Amino acid sequence: MAAQHWRRLAASPLAELISRGLAALVAGYLLAFGATAFLSVYLPLPRPDRVVVASLLCFAVWVGAAVYSFAARRPLRVWVVLVALAGALCLAAWLPTDWRMRP
Amino acid sequence: MKLRQSMTTLHTWGGLLPSWLLFVVIFTGTLACFDKELEHWMRPALHGSSGPASASAQQISDWLADNVSAPLHAYWIHPPTERTPFWQLGWEEDGSGQRGRAVFDPVTGAALPETLGGDFFFTLHYNLHAGQIGMYIVGLAGVFMLAALVSGVIIHRRIFKDFFTLRPRAQGQRAWLDAHNLFGVVGLPFHLVLAYTGVAIFVAAYMPAGGMVAYNSDPLAFYHEVQGGYHRNELDRPAGTPVPLDQLVTAAQQQWQSTDTGWIIVEHPADASSVVSIRRRDPSRIGSPQDTLSYDAFTGELLHQQQTPPAYRGYIWMVGLHMAQFGGSLIRLLYGVLGLAGCMMLVAGNTVWLRKRAARQTPGLHLVQALNTAVFFGLPVASLVLLWANRLIPAELEHRASVEAWSFVLAWLAVTLATLVSSRQPLARARALLGVMAALALGLPLVNFLTAPYSHLLATFGTAPELALVDLTLLICGVLLAVAMARYRPRQPVPAARKTECGESEVTV
Repeated sequence: MAAQHWRRLAASPLAELISRGLAALVAGYLLAFGATAFLSVYLPLPRPDRVVVASLLCFAVWVGAAVYSFAARRPLRVWVVLVALAGALCLAAWLPTDWRMRP
Repeated sequence: MKLRQSMTTLHTWGGLLPSWLLFVVIFTGTLACFDKELEHWMRPALHGSSGPASASAQQISDWLADNVSAPLHAYWIHPPTERTPFWQLGWEEDGSGQRGRAVFDPVTGAALPETLGGDFFFTLHYNLHAGQIGMYIVGLAGVFMLAALVSGVIIHRRIFKDFFTLRPRAQGQRAWLDAHNLFGVVGLPFHLVLAYTGVAIFVAAYMPAGGMVAYNSDPLAFYHEVQGGYHRNELDRPAGTPVPLDQLVTAAQQQWQSTDTGWIIVEHPADASSVVSIRRRDPSRIGSPQDTLSYDAFTGELLHQQQTPPAYRGYIWMVGLHMAQFGGSLIRLLYGVLGLAGCMMLVAGNTVWLRKRAARQTPGLHLVQALNTAVFFGLPVASLVLLWANRLIPAELEHRASVEAWSFVLAWLAVTLATLVSSRQPLARARALLGVMAALALGLPLVNFLTAPYSHLLATFGTAPELALVDLTLLICGVLLAVAMARYRPRQPVPAARKTECGESEVTV
């Protein structure tokens, strides 16, 4: 009985709105974080310039993720896509231990 | 079609939720375009006097040594400029991190009576006077604003055609939507740039990923390399005899071949490691020059000249674009007008939200309506009351700035309380508040006339246009508000149920 109640609540428009909103905020920030880390390592520039350019771009990534959170057809898919992408970017950024800190 | 629908959801809720906070940020940011003029206006002791500016940086530094006993982490001094004809001093105490601020007469070097000054609006704009946490809250509001702007553009397919459409006599909701579009589209490039450069200023705090991955979370290495600046850690040894500050300023001016000095920063003055950094000022450029000179405070030896990497100069350019300290009054006037357009965009947008839902009796209607009135009227009223308090509180009163701050807070609280008790008559309430604002704005030049013999319009007109313009702007706003109040009537008979519930809660001026 309770399970059914929860399922109905989760499928309601309000729950979907909250899910998309939180995804835009939280998962969007995670993607911006991953993108900044990735670009801070892989941009073909000296280290201080890499970091500054990557950081200044982060808000565009975040806003793009927010638009995607609301535009995507399925609200749960948004979380999967954004978090997976953020994780992959972070992994790619942190794995090359010495190279990521090259001058 | 589907995309525009989903963007409408994002725009509606991503716009409504932070709208009151954004109103505070944009309104105070608009005022902060003129923070230096307001600061000058709020210090009547400076008006009417003239003479050769004879005070020196060393004199200001000596005042600090005589008047503040706590050990200092750092202090900073700014010489007089055209827009700020006074010496400015700020300091941070060691350990507690407590900050202080004082301003000095350029002729005598005497400390002026304290006031919140135009700086109050600037600080409210970027951290709501709530320090670190406030800075994060404002940053989040900025990202919401970016998302609302982008989704607004996507929704707005007929952006060109609608721009030339204003139907003030149309049904309420349609007219408010036109107004929202008009202010939004006129200001769009400005709002986009200002929102983006605004959140970019504290990017290092908001987005630490770059420093974490490329500098292994070593903040000192990060700042040293990115800013090309100089820092010397405390040696925990007692300080020697410092070189007079004026001597270092002269040395810096010779080095730059320029006399335009900006902030003079003295780090841990009581330690043997003390460094004096002198910044150059160049208001002809958007980005302030980044060639700060750092001197040993005791030997006067030049330790370092700042050299910044290109991307950091790009960042400084973005910061400069936001701060509007370049160019001249015309630039600031343009920023001010477009800032007001931003405020009106928010007011109109929230009114559209209300109008759309009034007939349906959506839950939360009363809350939105109350917040609209409490914020959109409360902040301007409180700002005007602050200026009244500035003229009415005696100059010699102790903790004068705190009393000013209380006047601001209490005025805003009063509007909020009035909003709560009059929730049944939104029409009468809006009219009354327009009247209050008009009276406050029109009364201020009069109070100025009665309390400050060298500051009022008759004394400053012609001799000090930057002061006269503050009074003139108040008079113009007051007249416009009074006209708005007089003309403020519901346009057509509205069914009784709708009238009391939605009413015309807001009005443009």
